[in-house]
Amino acid sequence: MKGCVILNFLSEGFLQGFDLLFSGDEEVWSAVFETLKLSSLSMLVSLLIGIPAGFALGHFSFPGRRAVRLLVDTLLSIPTVVVGLFVYAFISNRGPLGSFELLFTTSGMAIGQTILALPIIMALTASAVENTDRRLRFTLLTLGARGRRLLLSTLWEARHQILLAAVTAYGRVTAEVGVSMMLGGNIKWHTRTITTAITLETGKGNFATGIALGVLLLSLSFVLNWSVSFLRGRSAA
Amino acid sequence: MTIDARIPVYQLNDIVCGYEGKPVLRVESLSLYDDGPVAFVGHNGSGKSTLLNLLAFLLPPISGELMFQGATAGESGRGSLDATMLLQDPYLLRRSVFENVAYGLKARGMKDVRSRVVEALEMVGLSPDFARRLWYQLSGGEARRVALASRLALRTKVLLLDEPTANVDEESAQLIAQVILDARRMWGALPLIATHDLQWLDSVTQRRIFMRRGRIERQPA
Repeated sequence: MKGCVILNFLSEGFLQGFDLLFSGDEEVWSAVFETLKLSSLSMLVSLLIGIPAGFALGHFSFPGRRAVRLLVDTLLSIPTVVVGLFVYAFISNRGPLGSFELLFTTSGMAIGQTILALPIIMALTASAVENTDRRLRFTLLTLGARGRRLLLSTLWEARHQILLAAVTAYGRVTAEVGVSMMLGGNIKWHTRTITTAITLETGKGNFATGIALGVLLLSLSFVLNWSVSFLRGRSAA
Repeated sequence: MTIDARIPVYQLNDIVCGYEGKPVLRVESLSLYDDGPVAFVGHNGSGKSTLLNLLAFLLPPISGELMFQGATAGESGRGSLDATMLLQDPYLLRRSVFENVAYGLKARGMKDVRSRVVEALEMVGLSPDFARRLWYQLSGGEARRVALASRLALRTKVLLLDEPTANVDEESAQLIAQVILDARRMWGALPLIATHDLQWLDSVTQRRIFMRRGRIERQPA
């Protein structure tokens, strides 16, 4: 009996959810656009810093390299609320960056998400570069590549795995709740993302809105996983 | 580059070469003049590949002197762009056939890239249409030919080939022999070949340097 009630509950939620999506509900789409804006910003910064840093970590030998690698690998599994907590301490009014008034803004949330994405980009880029074919360097040298061309060509050979790193990091930032909730405050029309909206709407008993957003998040996840699968096939070829 | 025939292309004096500081090759004295293809012959582990890596400037000597056209190689990068090498197990860049063959030409800032790519592909028996294919669309034999074409396109003075007939069929082996002779005839290349395929070598050169356990055992007078 209870099972039937839950099933009805969910099926009604799905129907209402699709209705909200396709009728262009402003609140739902505001959360979607905020999520896309936020994740694009954090990914842009993460890629700009993470790819060169990851390449350096995987390609060059320098003192302390193993320690840096260990730190980056550890940060791969850092809980989102811990990142939220640390960034909160820095950007809140009493923090060292308080004067920039970043708390409860998209920029503030982007800082937190960048910290989440950066270790993924760095670690996977470093692994991609480390795992390039051992014949690659000799091949590039015998063809006449030197200096910057040698480095960029090595990076280009690892491009599929680096794209894979970017997709993985994108999946992490779009699915997280802790950073967005703590640093964004879940402010309607402003810092509310898909995940924080789902949390709020479910708490309020508004399953339809939650499910509408959940379907969108699932669709995004499907596209990301399909991309990962495609890239894996491509890099294995 | 212009080669002075009176000066050896390579001159090796008291060379010790190896990996991670561990010597695997010792050459007291070796002079290679621009007199046509030379083969380094020996069993596995005799030091042929290490010697080729040294001559391709991929591996610096642990000690000793490596001269290229009378000048010390390595210090000023002398000779490094005048030699290219086909690895024993060639690697193709994750790009199209055209991009693979054009890569070295672009790295050297050369012009007329397209025509040289087509010419190099034709030398190894591949049609220009082949240039559009991607690296993963090639068979093992085709990949080896593309790798060879990418070296031929550069028209370097020295063409080093490490076991060029390993894992290829009879027809491809004869094509490679012909390409080596063509490179000599067309732009005066000095082919240096590491192999243990003596029968195939008969169709390329009789100038052979025999190697054993990391040393030169016998060389032409």
